[in-house]
Amino acid sequence: MTLEVSNISVSLGGFEILKDIAISVPEAGMTGLIGPNGAGKSTLFSVISGFLKQSAGRIQFGGRDLDGTGAAVRARAGRVRTFQVPREFRHMTVRENLYAAAPDQPGEHLINLLIRSAKVNLREREVRQQGEEVLDFLKLRKVADVPSGQLSGGQKKLLELGRVLMLKPKMILLDEPFAGVNAVLIAEIVDRIRELHAGGVGFLIIEHDLEAISDLVDEMHVLNRGMLLASGAPQAVLDDARVREAYLGGAVQ
Amino acid sequence: MTAYLVTIFIIVLIYLLLSLGLTIQYGLTGLVNFGLVGFFAIGAYASALLAMNGIPMVVSFLLASVLAGLAAWPIGLVALRLRDDYFAIVTLGFSETIRLVIVNESWLTNGVRGITDVPALFQGAASSAPLVTVGVLLIVNAAIIVVLQRIVKSPFGRALEAVRDDEIALTALGKSPSRFKIEVLVLGSALAGLAGAFYGHYVTYIVPDQFVPLTTFYIWMAVIIGGVGRVSGAIFGTVLLIGLLEGSRFLRDLIPAIPDTEMASVRIGAVGLLLILFMIYRPQGLLGDFTKR
Amino acid sequence: MYYIQLALNGLSQGLVVGLAALGITLVFGIARFANASAGDGLTFGAYLALVGQRITDSLLLGVGFSIIVSALANVLSYKLVFKKLAGRSSVALLVGSIGLGFLVRGALGVVFGHQQEVFNVQLVAPYRIGELAISILDLQMASVAALALAATFGTLYFTSIGRQMRAVADNLELARVCGIHPERVMIALWSLVGAVTAVAGLILGIKTVVSPEAGWEMLLPAFAAAILGGIGSPVGAVLAGLLLGVAQEVSTPFVGFSYKIALSFVVILFVLLVRPSGLLGRIEGVR
Repeated sequence: MTLEVSNISVSLGGFEILKDIAISVPEAGMTGLIGPNGAGKSTLFSVISGFLKQSAGRIQFGGRDLDGTGAAVRARAGRVRTFQVPREFRHMTVRENLYAAAPDQPGEHLINLLIRSAKVNLREREVRQQGEEVLDFLKLRKVADVPSGQLSGGQKKLLELGRVLMLKPKMILLDEPFAGVNAVLIAEIVDRIRELHAGGVGFLIIEHDLEAISDLVDEMHVLNRGMLLASGAPQAVLDDARVREAYLGGAVQ
Repeated sequence: MTAYLVTIFIIVLIYLLLSLGLTIQYGLTGLVNFGLVGFFAIGAYASALLAMNGIPMVVSFLLASVLAGLAAWPIGLVALRLRDDYFAIVTLGFSETIRLVIVNESWLTNGVRGITDVPALFQGAASSAPLVTVGVLLIVNAAIIVVLQRIVKSPFGRALEAVRDDEIALTALGKSPSRFKIEVLVLGSALAGLAGAFYGHYVTYIVPDQFVPLTTFYIWMAVIIGGVGRVSGAIFGTVLLIGLLEGSRFLRDLIPAIPDTEMASVRIGAVGLLLILFMIYRPQGLLGDFTKR
Repeated sequence: MYYIQLALNGLSQGLVVGLAALGITLVFGIARFANASAGDGLTFGAYLALVGQRITDSLLLGVGFSIIVSALANVLSYKLVFKKLAGRSSVALLVGSIGLGFLVRGALGVVFGHQQEVFNVQLVAPYRIGELAISILDLQMASVAALALAATFGTLYFTSIGRQMRAVADNLELARVCGIHPERVMIALWSLVGAVTAVAGLILGIKTVVSPEAGWEMLLPAFAAAILGGIGSPVGAVLAGLLLGVAQEVSTPFVGFSYKIALSFVVILFVLLVRPSGLLGRIEGVR
């Protein structure tokens, strides 16, 4: 199944933030969305994930127009996003963040707390079990009981990924997973992404660090100043003269 | 003397139900409900009318409470997406509209004259009725407090914390903050309705004038002074509130020159002053704040 | 004809609501919170004018007295209450304003008692145009209101401090960066709001009675008008107030006398859900 972005434009307050963007993202693929700061990448994410309504154009998935479906619904449908600046539930511990993310919890309905406590407890056990697995997978066990607001930037990014994993998504939209993260941790994150991809999870990754991403993705789309500059295999895109120019007239090695 | 103290105790316990309702809504979930008294009114009138038409009181209490909760549902659906201050204005408008409906639909509510013969509580117990009332109210309040603590520790409570911390993040994880807020709004309003039922059958005489916004803000004051977000704060604040209200009565006895209506103004002024002072100097209340708002 | 008469009567009600809404929308736009003490500000202004008239035997001087003292009192309430709550959540300011309103209402009740007072105005036969009756008092009140509006809009659009106020309403950060002193803007804001609510309270007091509860009952209609007109739009607030005043009067034969306030509630809900920016406002982040 494919996510089709067709002629998406976004205008806010007179500014054209996105102009006529058209890309195709295979659900189980590994796709990159790159561009300099302010190119509109996060805005495109917001439109795709349902947080922002486009001024023109359509988002379709598997042939069906997503218009009208809210952000929460789109996330439940299997396509979950993270945020450029991590949005951890800062007063809650890492564990609690993960537990809170798990879907389909009967305990989140007051009625069930009253009359179906067996079901509530059963699901809670499952959630906690899954939480421990995610903690191990992301190597966050050491900080499991730390209030997430106190984590380092890199750890917060891992936690964002962890929360997303609790939903067992089909496709993860990562917004700058490597920004502000040290090189060792970046390598870790890349490994985790590869592992997940091998297990069938698709990725759409925003990055402006070309190096980190060109080995990782199968296909890249380049945005600049709200417009689509180039699309294609990483090397082809990197060799593209317009792309080089967009990145500071540059030496893109 | 003891009879007087029992009366005070009963009033405290009834108002405590209101404070607990507001604590769930504002303290735990940040809902700025300025229409609390509207649900109080629905509970009082619903239970009174049902009981006067042959429904046994236990049932009428339950139905009144459910009705008050259900009345909150459309408000939730419609107004919870709004910013805090707009939500507050809408709920205020709602409670005033409820009062207007009560005043105008006199075929149902007897309008401004009110209902004068609301069936009293525990008539079967005759002279021990007040004590039985205290007992029942204590049990009800205790049960609700236990339920509240369980909710806080449950997945629902966890979700509420997430709503307080970052609604957008929660939405991105597939959960709708509005749904949680509506459930809290309904629960808190049902509590207010239950309080109303107890109130109506205790004072046995209900008029629209008893259900004015001032009561809503008495409870706000109690919760703010006691400490937002904590059950102990709700208890402490309610005791303080009733203490102040009753204390003002004694003040009037000391200074007979102040007529009744002036006492009412002194009370309103005092509530206003306390709200201002606490908002500025001690917003976390006297017992501290565990929601870090 | 009957409806036109109702509409005319509604206009003076509409002036009260419109002026009160103007005060609310100015505070919302520039200080960014819902001022729930606006209603009691009306009562305050009415009592001030009453006192002023009783002392000087001149309604005109009473009005002047009311405007000046009300402006000063509003600046004082800014300094003592709202400034101290600045930067806190909008709930804190809202609750603070509720407290302020209660304090004013309580104080007025203690000082003046609860009997309804009336202004000492001469009863003169109204002008008659065909079957319509237009009272002279209404015309006088309308002129005072017009003057107040002219002064307000003149200040907002033709003076330097007015430009600064509008800049702060538009974009607080940018205004600060441009060197606009927030304090001066706030003092100007609250003085203006004080003057406007004083006039609104005066008209209310003259048309009806002066009592401690009178202004509070105008709060919901005033909010409804501010929201209908578009929060942050002074012109919208006044127009919506007039509209609402007329609508309330004209609807009376249909919905009965007491449901007038319910009309405000319905208007608020309707606007916030269907067209949050109101008639003339920009979307201000209602959701």
